[in-house]
This record gives sequence, structure tokens and C-alpha cells, in this order.
Amino acid sequence: MTQRTRYFLTGSSLVLMVGLATGLVAFYNGSLPLGASTMEQSEFTYLPADSTAVAYADVRAIMDSEFRQKLRQVLPTGEEKDKLQAETGIDIERDIDTVVASFSGNRPDPSGAVVLVRGRFNDVQVETLARQHGAQVEEYRGKRMLLMTHDGPRMQPDGTTASAPSVGGLAFLEPGLMALGESAALKRAIDTNATKDDITKNADLMGLANDVRGGSNAWVVGRFDEMAGSPMMPEQVRAHLPAVQLFAVSAHVNGGVNGMIRADTRDDQAAEQLRDVVRGALAAGKLMAGQDAKIGAMLNSLQMTGTGKTVSLSFTVPAEVLDLLNGVAAMQNLGTGGIRK
Amino acid sequence: MSNSQKPPSFLYAALRVFDLSLGEMLWSRRTVFMGLVVGLPVLIAVIIRGLYALGAPAMHVNNATVTGPVVFGLMMWAFFIRFSVPVLGVFYGTSLIADEVEDKTITYLFSRPIPRGAVLVGKYLAYLVCTICVVLPSVVLVWLLIVPMGGSLGLHFIDLVKDLGLLALGLAVYGAVFALIGAAMKRPLLIGLLYVFGWETVVMLIPGYLKRFSVAYYLQGLVPHAMPSDSPLSLIQGIFREVPTLSEGLFWMAVICLGSLWLASRTVTRKEYVLEQ
Repeated sequence: MTQRTRYFLTGSSLVLMVGLATGLVAFYNGSLPLGASTMEQSEFTYLPADSTAVAYADVRAIMDSEFRQKLRQVLPTGEEKDKLQAETGIDIERDIDTVVASFSGNRPDPSGAVVLVRGRFNDVQVETLARQHGAQVEEYRGKRMLLMTHDGPRMQPDGTTASAPSVGGLAFLEPGLMALGESAALKRAIDTNATKDDITKNADLMGLANDVRGGSNAWVVGRFDEMAGSPMMPEQVRAHLPAVQLFAVSAHVNGGVNGMIRADTRDDQAAEQLRDVVRGALAAGKLMAGQDAKIGAMLNSLQMTGTGKTVSLSFTVPAEVLDLLNGVAAMQNLGTGGIRK
Repeated sequence: MSNSQKPPSFLYAALRVFDLSLGEMLWSRRTVFMGLVVGLPVLIAVIIRGLYALGAPAMHVNNATVTGPVVFGLMMWAFFIRFSVPVLGVFYGTSLIADEVEDKTITYLFSRPIPRGAVLVGKYLAYLVCTICVVLPSVVLVWLLIVPMGGSLGLHFIDLVKDLGLLALGLAVYGAVFALIGAAMKRPLLIGLLYVFGWETVVMLIPGYLKRFSVAYYLQGLVPHAMPSDSPLSLIQGIFREVPTLSEGLFWMAVICLGSLWLASRTVTRKEYVLEQ
């Protein structure tokens, strides 16, 4: 082998190694638990290991995004947001940085759901306002909880609704971190943190979360096979997706929304069948879209990927679609005599 | 006194031929062609990245915003999977023996005390190292330039590793198939081009089992990126596309590669090459 051949091979190997090393470093920093932000890791210690689904949203990034600004012109401001501000003094748009939620079991009632909110809260103000609205203070394992009893319709295990009292509220877990949910769910979150039997022990969900969370500011992952047992799940969905075991939805919200829906099936054959269904639906959608440029653009942004047991569908909602919705909303308001700002 | 020196083993002989052929192959005119084939995607990536750095508006295809990872996926399909890999396989694979016959230098190789099959295997290994050392760095450069545009290197690292593995596998399989064609047939280049751009293109559009007799079926089925639907042909291919499982794809590609290489080696050992005067 001549000297210049050796130089060439060395140079080529160097380029390859530098590229792979860069990718590997980025992979470990952005995707694995070791590289996850400390804040996110802290939230995970309150989520039970048997969680069926986990969701995350970088509220700050989403609220500041161009997409959100456009969405505000289309959607109403929200009574629930005003109610939360009146009862606790928390302004979702300004005070909250991130939200992490988990859901355990397949029961339709909210006793298995807990929402962890990180942001800038005035604990004293929150407690004063909550007490004015009838909240009771309770200590549990050294954490302060503000609980209120609500009477209202609750979904029963058989899927029907009936009026029943529920005790829910919030708990101050750490400075800048509070939990919202029913009393039982709040206590379970505190127990989970104390016993360390948390979501990081759930290899399936953590593996999936690590795969999707890099590069997105909102994501949800879950065990579809466990959630399918819930009466809240529509029968049509349950019947058509029996082989899906895990699912994930991730999105990066900025000017528009770039996202991905992923399903992990029990075997390669089931994945192939699911791919056929998606492929058929995409082809039918393209045929039906006809000359409609906007719908055509939406459909063209759908890209199916994945090998083996994984089926992924990436999508893009361009900012232009929101402009279109704005146009429709403006037309409707003109018809009813008012323009929403 | 009798000569007690034993002839070299098959492996040693193949490695000697590899050592000899690698430099020849790397600094031949064919490599200039290969440089152009794999250099074009890098050049396009540099231009796209330059425009992005200068604040050019986001790319749109049919009014949909296209991010870096999607562009990389499209480039992988268009430049590498569908073009570079089969074309390099044809140009290099068919020439492993045909060039020696054409240059009338095969006599010198066959007159050495080494197995004839080792000549082919050594040259095949040289082809593999030569093409891998040019194609894979090019893919890595495109990936480093394109994916960070609205995407995350960490998130798409696994896809890059899969891409690199697939390209290496594709070069190995196509190279072995065309080494067989080059060893067994006259006008191997023409036959190779007909196979890649005729047979493989047609069978991939037809529903049924015929596509199983192509390398593209197994290789393209394992690509982790969405297949582009940029033309009516691609759209039809997308509708009739069947994807083999990972194990099926790997198994059949290994069978095709090793089977073709064995047959090519056997052909070279048995065939009498007539040098035209």
C-alpha cells in the first residue's frame, strides 16, 4: 500500500469517526437519562413506576412561539385559565415553565392522574387565595397540600357518569414545583418520591420517552395495550389497533408544528399491517384532496417511516394553515358582527 | 533438490491481491467518477446550509415546511440508496475481472501460485474498502450539515448509524452480484446497468413476488427514512410497496452476497478467459 493510499484511508476514517463521535455525544446529551435536564429528572421522581402514560410540555417555549400567537387569534382565551388564576393567582401564560403529567391504570376517573407544574409561584398568595375558595390545608410526609371537595359528575368504572364528591387540589413539592390532582394521586406522588419507585424504573416508557423527547417541546408516551382496557377508549380505536403496545406523540412547536406519531407493535407482521393501513389512508387522502392546495400541503407533509415493530408518521402543520383558519374565523365574525382580537 | 515452499493460503493470497488492488482502484479514473457521484450531495448540502446560515426562509415543498432531517432522508433516498450504491456496484463490481481481461493483464495474475478465486475475492475486498471509504464520509458530512437545520443530531443519530450500515451492506451485496456478472458474462457493464435501471425499477412497481428477485427490495425495505413520493413512479411504488422484516432482509442480502461471491469465485476458477488480439 502506498503512502498516499494510507493518507487517504486515514483521512476518510477520521471524517467518519469525527461524525460518529459528534452524533454519539449529541445522542447521549440529548436523549438519554444522563443528559436529561435536572428539572425534568426531578419531576420523574414523583411519577409512579406503573404509569400508563406520561406527557411533557415546555409551556414557556410554546407560549412564546409564533404558532401560539396565531392560535390565540383563532381560539377563545379560556374560562378555565381565568378560573385557575382567580383561585390560585397562577397565570398559565406567564408563571409556568413546564408541565409533566402522568396517568396510572385504565380507570376512567382522575384518581390516577397527577400533573406537575414547574414555574414561578408565590406560595403564600396561592394558599391565601385557595383558602378563600374553601381549601383545607393538610400536611403529608412534610409536604403541604391544599385540598378542596368538589361535587360533580364523575365517570364510573363502567364508563357511565354519576354525581359523587371528590377531594382534589394541589401540593407544594419543592420550591417552584407543585402537583395538581386528586388527593389520592397527590399522596401517591409524594410516596413515590420517598420510596424512589418512580417512572425511571419503567424501562419501556423511559426508553420511548428518551427516543422522542430530543428536539421536541411537547410529547406524550404511553402503553396503548393497558389504556385500551379503559371504557373511555372508543370501541372503534380498540378494535382496529389491537396489536399496538406502545405509542408516542411528539411535537416541536414554533412557527408551525412539526411532529411525529409513533406506534410500537407486538411483532413485525402487526407493524406491516399497520403500515398498510396508514399507506392506504394517505393514498386515499391524496386522491380526495384533489386540487385543494392547503390540504394537499398538509398531506404531503405526512411521511411514514419506521422498520421492524415501529411505525412512525411525521407531520407538519405549517403556519399558513393557521392563517387560513384565521381567515375563516374572521369571515365568521364578520357574519356575526364582531371581530375577536 | 525439490522446492519445499508451500503455495500461500486462500486468505493470505486474497489479502495480497487486496493490498495490490486497493491503491490501483483508489487512484484510477473510476474514482474521479465516484468522487463526482458522492461529492454532489455534499456540495448541495453545503449550499443549502449556507443559505440557511444567511437567513434564507425555511424550505417548502408543496407549501409544507421541510426540516433538515426530512431533507437528509430525501437525499439518502435520491442520491445514495437509489443511485450511488447500485451505480458504484455496477461500475466497480463488473470491472473486477473484466478490466484485467480487457487490459490483458489477467495472465500475470493467474500465472502466480495462488488460487484464482483469491484474485476475485481480494479485488472485491479492495472495491468494498475503496467505496466505503468514499461513500460513508460523504454521508456523514451531509448529515452534519443538513440535520441540525430544524432537527437534532442526537435524535437522528441512530438513523445515521442505520444508514451507514445499510450503505455498507448495499455496496457489499451489489458489488458481489456484479462481480459475478463481470466474471461470467461478456459486456457486463451493459447488463449491470440494465439490471439496475431496468429490471429493478420495473419489478419494484409490480405487485407480486418478482421484486424478491432484486437487491433493491431487501435494501430499500430497511431504509429508516420515508420513501419520497416525488413522481408518479414513486407514488405507484409507494402504493405497491412491501417491506421485508429486518431479519428477512438481512438474511436474504447475506445469502445473495455470499452466494454471488462464491459463484463468482467458482466461475473465475473454471472459466478460460480468451484474450482478444
